[in-house]
Amino acid sequence: MKETLLLTKHMREYPENSHLIDSYEKNNGYKTAKSALKSLSPQQILQEIKDSNIKGRGGAGFPTGTKWGMLVEDQEKYLVINADESEPGTFKDRILLERDPHQLIEGMILTCFASGIHKAFIYIRGEYAKPARRVQKAVEQAYEKNYIGKNIFGSNFDLDIVVHLGAGAYICGEETALLNSLEGRRGEPRLKPPYYPAVKGLYMKPTLVNNVETISSVPWIIANSGLEYNKLGVEGSVGTRIFSLSGHINNPGNYEIQMGSSFGEFVDTLGGGVKNSKKIKAFIPGGASAPWFRGDQLDIKMTIDDVAKNNSMLGSGAVVMMDEDTNLVSAAKSIVSFFAHESCGQCTPCREGTTWLEMILDRIASGRGRTSDVELLLDICDNISPGLSWPPKMTTICPLGPSAVSPITSLMKDFRDEVDKLIPSKVLL
Amino acid sequence: MNQKINLNVNGLVIESENDKLLIEACEDSGIHIPRFCWHKRLDPVGMCRMCLVEIDTPKGKILVPSCTTKVTDEMIVDTESDTVRKAQEGILEFLLINHPLDCPICDKAGECPLQDQTMAYGPGESRFVEEKRHFEKPLPISEIILLDRERCILCARCTRFSDEISGDPLIEFIQRGNKTEVNTFPNEPFKSYFSGNTVQICPVGALTSTSYRFKARPWDLKTTQSTCNGCSIGCTIELNSSQNKMLRILGVDNDAVNQGWLCDKGRYNFEYLNSKQRLLSSMKKVNDIFEEISLQEVFSDLKNEIIDESTKVKFFIGTNLTNEDYYTIKEFSKNIPAQNQTFYLNDDFLHSGKYQNTIDQASLNDLDNSDVIVLWAQDLKENLPILFLRIRKAVKNGVKLVIFGHSNQTLLDISDTFFGENIVSNNFEIIKDLNKIKDFKKSVSGKKVTAVIGKSSPFQSNESLDNLVKFLQENSEVKILRAYSKGNIFGAISVFDSVKGTKEFINDTSNDTPDLLFVVGADPVGSSIFSSNFKENIKKIKKVVSLDLFQHETSELSTYIIPTASTLGEKEGTFTNIEFRTSRIDKLVPSPGQSISDWEFFAGLINYCNLQEFSNSVHEINKKLYENLKSSNIPIFDNLDKPSNVEGIIHIKTPNVEISDEVIESNYFLGNKLYGDNATVRHSESISFLGSKKFIEMNEETANQYSLTNGICKLEQNSFSVNLTYNINNKLPDGLIFIPKNRRDLNKFNFLDEIKIFPGSQEGSLNVS
Amino acid sequence: MTWEDKYLKQAKKIIKLYPQKRSAMGPLLHLAQSRDGYISDESISVISELVGVTEVQVKSVSTFYSMYKQEPTGKYLISVCKSISCEINDSKSVINAVKDFTGLNNNETDEEKLFTFEAVECIGACGGAPAVQVNYETVEGLTTEKVINLCKWLKDTTPDLIVADVLQEKFGGTKSFDWAIKDSSGSTGSVPGFQTFNTTKEEK
Ligand SMILES: Cc1cc2nc3c(=O)[nH]c(=O)nc-3n(C[C@H](O)[C@H](O)[C@H](O)COP(=O)(O)O)c2cc1C
Ligand code: SF4
Ligand code: FES
Repeated sequence: MKETLLLTKHMREYPENSHLIDSYEKNNGYKTAKSALKSLSPQQILQEIKDSNIKGRGGAGFPTGTKWGMLVEDQEKYLVINADESEPGTFKDRILLERDPHQLIEGMILTCFASGIHKAFIYIRGEYAKPARRVQKAVEQAYEKNYIGKNIFGSNFDLDIVVHLGAGAYICGEETALLNSLEGRRGEPRLKPPYYPAVKGLYMKPTLVNNVETISSVPWIIANSGLEYNKLGVEGSVGTRIFSLSGHINNPGNYEIQMGSSFGEFVDTLGGGVKNSKKIKAFIPGGASAPWFRGDQLDIKMTIDDVAKNNSMLGSGAVVMMDEDTNLVSAAKSIVSFFAHESCGQCTPCREGTTWLEMILDRIASGRGRTSDVELLLDICDNISPGLSWPPKMTTICPLGPSAVSPITSLMKDFRDEVDKLIPSKVLL
Repeated sequence: MNQKINLNVNGLVIESENDKLLIEACEDSGIHIPRFCWHKRLDPVGMCRMCLVEIDTPKGKILVPSCTTKVTDEMIVDTESDTVRKAQEGILEFLLINHPLDCPICDKAGECPLQDQTMAYGPGESRFVEEKRHFEKPLPISEIILLDRERCILCARCTRFSDEISGDPLIEFIQRGNKTEVNTFPNEPFKSYFSGNTVQICPVGALTSTSYRFKARPWDLKTTQSTCNGCSIGCTIELNSSQNKMLRILGVDNDAVNQGWLCDKGRYNFEYLNSKQRLLSSMKKVNDIFEEISLQEVFSDLKNEIIDESTKVKFFIGTNLTNEDYYTIKEFSKNIPAQNQTFYLNDDFLHSGKYQNTIDQASLNDLDNSDVIVLWAQDLKENLPILFLRIRKAVKNGVKLVIFGHSNQTLLDISDTFFGENIVSNNFEIIKDLNKIKDFKKSVSGKKVTAVIGKSSPFQSNESLDNLVKFLQENSEVKILRAYSKGNIFGAISVFDSVKGTKEFINDTSNDTPDLLFVVGADPVGSSIFSSNFKENIKKIKKVVSLDLFQHETSELSTYIIPTASTLGEKEGTFTNIEFRTSRIDKLVPSPGQSISDWEFFAGLINYCNLQEFSNSVHEINKKLYENLKSSNIPIFDNLDKPSNVEGIIHIKTPNVEISDEVIESNYFLGNKLYGDNATVRHSESISFLGSKKFIEMNEETANQYSLTNGICKLEQNSFSVNLTYNINNKLPDGLIFIPKNRRDLNKFNFLDEIKIFPGSQEGSLNVS
Repeated sequence: MTWEDKYLKQAKKIIKLYPQKRSAMGPLLHLAQSRDGYISDESISVISELVGVTEVQVKSVSTFYSMYKQEPTGKYLISVCKSISCEINDSKSVINAVKDFTGLNNNETDEEKLFTFEAVECIGACGGAPAVQVNYETVEGLTTEKVINLCKWLKDTTPDLIVADVLQEKFGGTKSFDWAIKDSSGSTGSVPGFQTFNTTKEEK
């Protein structure tokens, strides 16, 4: 299995300078935008994106063309790049920001031109200081060359870009929370309905929110046509996608591949196999929110549909491998604590439930579990995500609450014995 | 827009309007859905998740919060399915795991939604064996409000109220997730005129009032519905008492008037009822000492003057009486032989309110239905707080707001246009030809306008206001709310054929001293800006009869003092508000000692002097009030007590207020603060000190002119002087000085003469010299 | 009380970037953090003036985000990741190593105001687990020895500028991905080193 380099081509071929405008331009950077703004109509660009069938890379996997098409008309509209990448296991946007920021900016120019947007923000998580500096530098360079600003490429199209830093809140990755945050408010998700970004987004104006990887793909698509892009990958999971591979693996890292091959192949070839040639006990196919797979499910294909068929998701493209020696209870606890810590606190079930789950897991992990705890855990999960089905039913505003349930249900479904053996059996209640 | 639709709830079809919220639609058809965060008068946030219901979708049944989901035609809803029940039970368990079990010592117990819903939908015993969340409790977050963060269930009602409704977001969520708490900023307490509402809508005992703390249990409360007489809005209220003691006032959701809200003064200004200082028996001044005497003796003392037609009789009347009181006074005056009697009302801010052409009376709800609100009146937040809220609401829903003058600064930030010093002079006259003010003409032309009109300061001329009204009549579809702000003043205006104001009293009595003056529920010497003139003139009067709750500076000067019952909970009657809406005043507690209703005094006097057989039943008097009126729905008890009239009954009368109109040059902008130095506030411990601070306001420029630097200054006139703080307020024009005339000592100045202002010395105490 | 001109000037610049003043609140809080080492009540009042909201509204926002510190931080904010990829790569021992060396528990600061220690959620360095940030400059592929050397070095040399690439070169191991050319920019305090906040410098 080999990589297919579209978004990571330039950075691989010119590692030293891929983040600088000269290098980017030497390799046809900004050419696409230049010509598109002269020769293409916004509608044509939108059509290319629709033809490409690219799906959002932020986690929700919503068709990008459709999203752009739904943007309501208004003289005040915004584009917000979601660079809040905080889903445990995910570090793909980081490389795009750090190593090829101009690709993102060019993508933004094309996106804004296609949607008649004149003000765009890049919301970068606060912990990504170095990537943010690189992006800020890139934005300054682009302004100097007047690739952004007033009357870009003499096309009398204006675009301003502001780089905005978050301040440590995973929930701000959720698009409406992100908008609240960008408005200088608490990063609490908004109610949908009525606050769909495409209708009532930033400052209650129509707003496109797209992931870094999604928009970084736009230049290639416009340069090579949507149909070309659509040829890559498999139906329903077209194009390339950058997977962040981590955990007990020899060659962790970001790999840009066409979707379709199996997780096992991915691990053995690009991943260089499991550390110390151990066996995989369990793995997470798409970020901390995704239900786990067992080691014997490595042959599942890395496509949106195959993973969904097996009751999980590719989500943010973060693949985490856990070998046979992994303490899965601690692993689950780590993930549950994460969601408990990151809950915005609006919804009762998420605010109270995730913390309660964390407390119980903590007791179990430290040998103070009760025989009634297993059942209790599952029932609390059921009160956060009724039926414990996939995709999850919700009693909450956003999916964070239900996400906290995934590791516990996985644990109980496939690795119940690991929990049981931690609970002192003689404790009578 | 709102077309009727049908939806299916739990198998039965109910009708509703589209874009109604599911929880409301169900409520309307008697299907109750449990909830904590949702409140009819607040924007939904869908946070507590208690109101989850199941609806059918193409993808099958899903759980949605009924407080954020709008109804659609043919919608199929289940509010009682097993899934729903399970979810509700889960939510309650989640809410309870960190909730202290201190109901036995909680003021809310017995009327606590959390408690009730736990009974109805809650789980059995708790499965939570971990450590509960802990906070220091209770935290005083203002002089009158306590916060217990352990009880809080984070419904965001208080935070939304103060942000959306009252517009002073001083209470907010702090921290995040499971650590979230509600709190105020350390050095910025919950100083709001409306904070009591958050206590009322708190679904648990997290926010409580100092005045009600540990006072009573809901189950031993006696309650009745009445009308607040704190200002001319006449909010619908519920009175709560126990052992004949008034303990609490709650806002009732009268959609036409206060929509559930109250200002803190209306809510907390009741403790005076139980004050030791209340007058308990009639008194007569005998060589400068007051001695108790019986009512009969007072009557017999007065009889001769009363039946003698040469006696010159005048009435100076307060604004806190019932329509029945006013009516009886009128009947009394009709039946005595005295010539040209006059009724003067105790309000320095009256304007004539008679305009060239007849003008339509607006209702409060017209505010919501108009395109533009044009406001030129005294500071509404201080004098008509609920009108302030109603205007905020209208503006929030898209009505434009145009403000004239320097008084309504707290509404500026939501106003569309503001006409300040270059349009309105320091004497509150319009100095430009309104036709030449383009954006004003544009903003009102042909529009539906509700004009809120009244004097910003006592020295303002009628003319200035009349011109504005005239302009509006010529250019727009205007209706008017006359911003007479005090208590039941519209009741007085409705009952008396003609009334005058304080300045008129001074003018008239200076030329021609009356022999007999009745001062009914008023303390002009203590409160009017013409205080000193009142003092002089009243001293000259042979017999002054003063009826009131408390002894005060005016009754000091009278010959007789009659103790009266308060309109708040001590008597029955009716009240007429700013839109001429009449509603019920009810009695809940006995009035102390020998105090009687004001109408009883005059009824007694009529009968004693056998001028006529006068009824001594308030019900009969109430019937007489409108006896020569044909309309079927006249505002009398029988009609007001009908469920169909819960909002009260509007019966409009064109006011006949005779206010002389000389323009007075003055640098002083005189206004009342919500909390002032009046008898009732002074005798209600919980809030008494809120009206004690003395200050004046001016802009930086003006402060420099007086070379004021250290925050303190000294006002001096003749031998009288006051040290006080001055606040810099740059929204005021140069030279204009705001003086809160209802703060102690500040009305002692004669504002028609100059007051000297000197820099104050830090150590100089803030007392009268 | 107010801010020095240099901060007020910067604040005005930041506010200009946004269509609505309130949007500047986040960046202004970072600015406050860089000035005071935490979000002081004084700065809250200044910001409430600058963006036109009440003080408690600023407090409400600032306490929502974990990077706005409510107590003064040390010169070096050491954030060790404890999320899943690091967790299963034994971040626990790295955490304990730092605790032992500094003698600090989670979210504590030493008397000298040198170190603040915190165990944090995913910092996007999962490929280089276990990972650490010093003043938001990332070091990947740590071990207990490496992290102790890192702390020692900080303590001995007390650099004013923290540069990710320098830390990585000196103390790092496996990276999440090829960092390519050495970048000499870094952070000057316990805030992200970022041009807009005046908190970044190039190392000579
Ligand atoms: C709890 C939560 C966290 C999220 N975090 C991120 C994130 O860090 N980055 C991201 O791009 N999208 C994130 N998303 C998805 C966004 O809500 C949104 O779908 C996405 O940014 C849209 O961009 P796309 O269509 O290009 O994928 C998150 C969603 C949820 C519910
Ligand atoms: S589910 Fe959790 S994170 Fe999402 S809105 Fe509700 S409380 Fe906030
Ligand atoms: S009442 Fe609907 S979520 Fe609280």
